[in-house]
Amino acid sequence: MYTEKVMEHFRNPRNVGEIENPDGVGVVGNPVCGDLMKITIKVDDDTISDIKFQTFGCGAAIATSSMVTELAKGKKIEDAIKISKQTVADALGGLPPQKMHCSNLASDGLRRAIADYLKKNGRLDKIRELGLEKELEKMEKGEMDDHGELCEV
Amino acid sequence: MSEIIVDRIVDCIGLFCPEPVLRTRNAIETVDIGKVIKVLADDPSSEEDIKAWAKHTGHEILKIEKKDGEFHFYIKRVK
Amino acid sequence: MVYFDYANGYPVDRRVIDSMIPYMEKEIGNPSSVHSMGLKARKAIDSVRDKIREFINGDGDIIFTSGATESNNLAIIGFGMRNKGKGKHIITSSIEHMSIINSCKVLQKNGFEVTYIPVDKNGVVKVDELERSIRDDTILISIQHANNEIGTIQEIEEIGRIASERGITFHVDATASAGKIEVDVEKMSADMLTISSNDLYGPRGVSALYVGKGVRVQPIIVGGGQEKGYRSGTENVAGIVGFGTAVDIIRDEYKEEAKREKKLRDKMIKRILSEIDESYLNGHPELRLPNNVNIRFSYIEGESLVLSLDMEGIYASTASACTSKTLQPSHVLMACGLKHEEAHGSLLFTLGKGNTEEDVERLMDVLPNVVERLRMMSPLYRKKKGG
Repeated sequence: MYTEKVMEHFRNPRNVGEIENPDGVGVVGNPVCGDLMKITIKVDDDTISDIKFQTFGCGAAIATSSMVTELAKGKKIEDAIKISKQTVADALGGLPPQKMHCSNLASDGLRRAIADYLKKNGRLDKIRELGLEKELEKMEKGEMDDHGELCEV
Repeated sequence: MSEIIVDRIVDCIGLFCPEPVLRTRNAIETVDIGKVIKVLADDPSSEEDIKAWAKHTGHEILKIEKKDGEFHFYIKRVK
Repeated sequence: MVYFDYANGYPVDRRVIDSMIPYMEKEIGNPSSVHSMGLKARKAIDSVRDKIREFINGDGDIIFTSGATESNNLAIIGFGMRNKGKGKHIITSSIEHMSIINSCKVLQKNGFEVTYIPVDKNGVVKVDELERSIRDDTILISIQHANNEIGTIQEIEEIGRIASERGITFHVDATASAGKIEVDVEKMSADMLTISSNDLYGPRGVSALYVGKGVRVQPIIVGGGQEKGYRSGTENVAGIVGFGTAVDIIRDEYKEEAKREKKLRDKMIKRILSEIDESYLNGHPELRLPNNVNIRFSYIEGESLVLSLDMEGIYASTASACTSKTLQPSHVLMACGLKHEEAHGSLLFTLGKGNTEEDVERLMDVLPNVVERLRMMSPLYRKKKGG
């Protein structure tokens, strides 16, 4: 079912854990669906200097979280927000179709973490500039579930 | 009563849960916001499943027709 | 290599394979042919019917199909359509195999009403509720003998007695139970029974539906009229012969083997529950198949458990393979009242002839670390631990 790259990230996930006193926190997913991810970031000079993840979920969930942290570390936030579900899936050599949705939330988690960082620093204009209003809104509403179409069925 | 303009038809006749919801979910992403898809299903639990999905995702069920054991759902993409 | 996934695939006994080869190489007659080679093939498959009848203590017809799924389809759809003049209400349980549930849905589309009886938290069908749901137009009750995911054994004799008293046809899906616990259609008052070859260490792709005297079904697979018209298609002679050999072998071996597996099962359950925190048994602790261990682990997810064990050369399952296509947790676990996240954290081990004490020890060398590693990655665990 999974590519070797996915399995490699599953076996040796990068950046597992939680940053102490993080600059931004993004939580996304729904344990009801079997996926929950928490991304924490340290930002220096608008660059993601450190990033860690915690994930409750399947092989794809863990691998995509790991890959997102690998892709985002060291990037400027303007570049980090460009990391999409597809970017992550491609970097992993592809994901089975049923895993694309639920398991690929990590990129959403990253966007939320960045939105959180900007909000904490009162930079609402930057949030607008980067198109992160939706993420901010969801976080304020406490909506963890970014994708849950299939979940309550 | 004006005819609903349908941009895409998703035929799930003969298929069982979770196929109708899976295919509906995939199809809604292929049309623009504001457009409508028509889903055909005859799984007895499809009414409940599609309604729950719509409630959860916020997409709007414009109409449900029931005829000869078939359900025809007209669903508008909202976001 | 430690294989704890027997429920999803049994190795075929060498003796079974050897008995099949002649019917693939030389004895290739078609049972419908009038010449002597055809007659040989005909005799071979008919003798297997006798073996199965004897094994299950029944005296009705045996219809060979391509698998338990097809047998279940025939039992539900074939029976329902044939008897709809007498009534259109079916009773079954909420934890049946999807081949039963979806077959019932097919009947629903054809005007039938189906009542799915709930189960308690251990997966035991609520018999009094079943009895209460019987109507004048109920024509069929179908309940599994035991559940392949959680191992729970049903009160089949009691249900059979009720069905018999009310004159309702009773079908038992014995796919998971045959070869593990006694299957006796007479004791169960069963009118139809599904039994599958692979679960008896026979080849995949062969099963039998037992149809008791006086029970009428109609075919769902039509064509040349084989199996007395009930299942068309040239018979899978080699497969059926293998099925028969498997029955011969297991009939003599299963009681002792079940005792042996039960000891391993209990050891595994005891060790896992005591050595790993926040692990819980799914299914009934006593009314349970001798080879079934289904445990849920808080804060982590089943597929990642299976993959982690795979990395260590240990094969297990997250409940039935059928549910892996959807992202839904098992309908069986949900019917037992588990929350979604609890159901997602479940792991199924099914034991078989090849498992030993060493396998259990190997598992316990690995599993606690696997669980710990995944828990350290889980935000739910950290949250709980106040981290």
